[in-house]
Amino acid sequence: MVDVTLVAVVEARLSGSIFLSGLQASTTLAEPVRFTWPETGLLLVCVVVSAALFFWRFAPILRTILHSKKDTDFSLHPLGRRVWDFVWEVLCQAKVIKQRPLPGLAHAFVFWGFLAFALVSLNHLANGVRLGFLPPDSYVGKFYFVFAGVWALLVAVSIAGLFVRRFFVRPIWLGTKVSYESGFIAFLIFLLMVSYLAAFFVADGGAAVKVLWWTHTLALLIFLPLIPHTKHLHLILSPLTVFLKRDGFSKIPPLSGDEDFGLVAGKDLTQLISLQVYSCVECGRCTEHCPASTTGKVLNPKEIILGARNYLNEFGPTSDVALLTDARVESPDNPAKKYMSMEAAFECTTCGSCEYQCPVGIQHVPIIVGLRRGATNTGAWEDTYGTKLFLALEKNGNALGLSAGERDKFIQKQGFPIFDGSQEYCLWLGCMGGYDPKGREIIADFARVMNYLGTTFGVLKKEKCTGDPARRLGNDLVFQTMAEFGLKALETAKVQKIVAICPHCVRTISNDWREYGIAPEIEHHSEFMARHKDRLPKQNSGESIVYHDPCYLGRYQEVYEEPRQIVSLAGDLVEAARSHERSFCCGAGGGLAFLGEERGERVSHVRAKELSDTGAQVVGTACPFCNTMFRDALSAVSEAPPQLLDIAQLTARALPPVIASESAS
Amino acid sequence: MKILVAIKQVPERDAQIHVASDGKWIDESDLNYTINEPDAYALEEALQLKEKNGGEVVVLCAGPERVTSTLREALAKGADRAIHIEADDLAERDTLGVAQMLADAVKAEAPDLILTGLQSDDLGLGQTGVVLAELLGMPHATIIMQVEVVGSGLKAKRELEDGWFQHVEMPLPALLTIQSGGNKLRYATLMGIKKAKTKETKTISAAVAAAAPAITLERVYLPEKQKKTEMLTGTPAEVAGQLVEKLKFEVRVI
Repeated sequence: MVDVTLVAVVEARLSGSIFLSGLQASTTLAEPVRFTWPETGLLLVCVVVSAALFFWRFAPILRTILHSKKDTDFSLHPLGRRVWDFVWEVLCQAKVIKQRPLPGLAHAFVFWGFLAFALVSLNHLANGVRLGFLPPDSYVGKFYFVFAGVWALLVAVSIAGLFVRRFFVRPIWLGTKVSYESGFIAFLIFLLMVSYLAAFFVADGGAAVKVLWWTHTLALLIFLPLIPHTKHLHLILSPLTVFLKRDGFSKIPPLSGDEDFGLVAGKDLTQLISLQVYSCVECGRCTEHCPASTTGKVLNPKEIILGARNYLNEFGPTSDVALLTDARVESPDNPAKKYMSMEAAFECTTCGSCEYQCPVGIQHVPIIVGLRRGATNTGAWEDTYGTKLFLALEKNGNALGLSAGERDKFIQKQGFPIFDGSQEYCLWLGCMGGYDPKGREIIADFARVMNYLGTTFGVLKKEKCTGDPARRLGNDLVFQTMAEFGLKALETAKVQKIVAICPHCVRTISNDWREYGIAPEIEHHSEFMARHKDRLPKQNSGESIVYHDPCYLGRYQEVYEEPRQIVSLAGDLVEAARSHERSFCCGAGGGLAFLGEERGERVSHVRAKELSDTGAQVVGTACPFCNTMFRDALSAVSEAPPQLLDIAQLTARALPPVIASESAS
Repeated sequence: MKILVAIKQVPERDAQIHVASDGKWIDESDLNYTINEPDAYALEEALQLKEKNGGEVVVLCAGPERVTSTLREALAKGADRAIHIEADDLAERDTLGVAQMLADAVKAEAPDLILTGLQSDDLGLGQTGVVLAELLGMPHATIIMQVEVVGSGLKAKRELEDGWFQHVEMPLPALLTIQSGGNKLRYATLMGIKKAKTKETKTISAAVAAAAPAITLERVYLPEKQKKTEMLTGTPAEVAGQLVEKLKFEVRVI
């Protein structure tokens, strides 16, 4: 909606340029020929002053980053991935354009223009010291300067459009404060381009050319020292940030040593984190898609990053002052207190929307989980529900706090075989599959599907939680206990392949458990069923089914098509307004299903409304947590709510009924 | 203020219990152990008192090698020191025997206050704390929900039946047996576990060998289910009449 205005502005500018045709336009860039020695001297002085100012402002930032704690788990390899990300995200500006197409394209033009201008700027300054290397009437010069001219036009138009967007249209994600320095820098860029283009219209060697030359040079030299103290630092840092990103999505680094409890104080911020927070361009894309921020919670991912940056500026990278403001002594220079509060940190569902599309490579989730670790591992976090969850995991080994005997009863009732090495798969029940009524229904239906397909499976005799909620809430003690127990149980039972109905289990077992050992390969039941889709019945129900991408299956594991293939077997697939990597969280992740929400709108209600607004008759889910969250949410937001079914249930409903004597095996 | 917390390690609450082959106790193989729940609340109360009034919290546990894990958890939650009374013969001791063992260790520590859970999750006798107080010659109160240090003594809130409470005051040193649910338990943290490694755990053996127990456990068995159901038929008036007959002459309650 916002971006249509930009198109109108572009059109206006193009039509305006026709008026310039009254002037004499030459295809050769005019160049000042004679620089007097005083002029060259003045130029050198300006360059030195500009460079000095730049370094004077940049050095403390560089020092802060270099003096931060080293990342112990960092490795340059796989190098190929890093190079690819750099090419795709920085050079091709893929994330910048994809997530906000029109402003993204405008920014991409400005960036590409900067790159195209590299030689121009160099030659420009070289001229001033009589070392010009690219004569405008040479073969290369003729082509290059016109080429750069085209870019200059694109840049000028783009930057003007972006200026209008920021200062007149004012999208809320850019923040409510008017940034005068952004405006000034936009003006400088515009001036740089216009002063370049104007040189096509003036005579060689005249006074006008000199004026233009000095305008261009001064604009450049004033721009340089402005870079470090503004978000324009991303010009220098973000290519590095994207290249050096932690390998893996939402990758929580292992704790290093006995004194490491997570991000407690400034001295725990690592070099990668420092680099990332200084690269933030304050674009607000993270906030725009955050389920907490958009439903009235305190948490704002952008403000967490900027809060960490302000902290580093105020206290430095070796400080003992607490990062979370609850434990911090008040400082008059410390703005945005509420954003770095414990309350904000514990409102995150770890959906990953922020990190997934950050164009400068900031990885928000490890930072937020790091802050949570600092609070939970030290006992600073006192929350009734959080404590209840940790005690339940400690005592009963499952997140629901039910007796382990309940799972045994369920297994007996269903007649599931115990895994003994003779079956192909170990069916991992998980907390929801083992103890929750709806989760159990999904397991029962998936077991029916596996029996129908003739796939042998067994369940573990004793199974504890994978530790996912503890991991996301920052409790490394409980997580370690759960992970080590699980790894041992799988190893003892000699499991080779696991299938699970819960994306949280799949992600935690295949990825987070690596800190303590390698688990057997595990896949989600959508991947399993999709592989066998040719043997599953095709239903001609004519029912419209809207599929909701779970965060931990979609963004976390990039599994988008397999569940859709299953849904298409059961009815007509419908997409929600936000789907695939843009899917909106159900609100259960990050331990939030156990903590509950205290303020604002319920995340589950917002998403449920979005799903029911598609008019679909059925909501298809692939995660028992999403299923649970939508169960009451759908009835709350709709008079005639759609049916809610997991993809296993959608598949099993078309299978021939099982005779009682066959089900007990 | 030095607070000593006497804790017991018991089988996990949802463990599948089987009677041992000799019928005298339960089969202890394949069982997981944990802290007795009322003792966990006693520990929490001790930690909160320490946070309010300063001092030291010492945990004491008698049992075989496996109880050291429960002691470590207590240290991780915030206790300062642990004492392990090595004893493999708990099953052969009666309450007096156990209390004597504990009393010997307590005397050496001379604490200002002793807290322990009001009963254990496995035997549920509810006697050990009381007998221990008597052996030490200390005033005691049981089923405590809240403790407050007042001057050189304390004030405690006891839970009675039917929603009634009683407040008692007593001088220190004293012993209190704590009821579950009085406080919110804290979770063990990574920092706590790491600190626990540096805290002292002293191992001692029972000072006196177990005397012949005054009470022995003869037999352990699962409740035998007997289902005797008689269905009365007829009109409501007829059934009522039959019921009154049975209540009068067979069951003899009216």
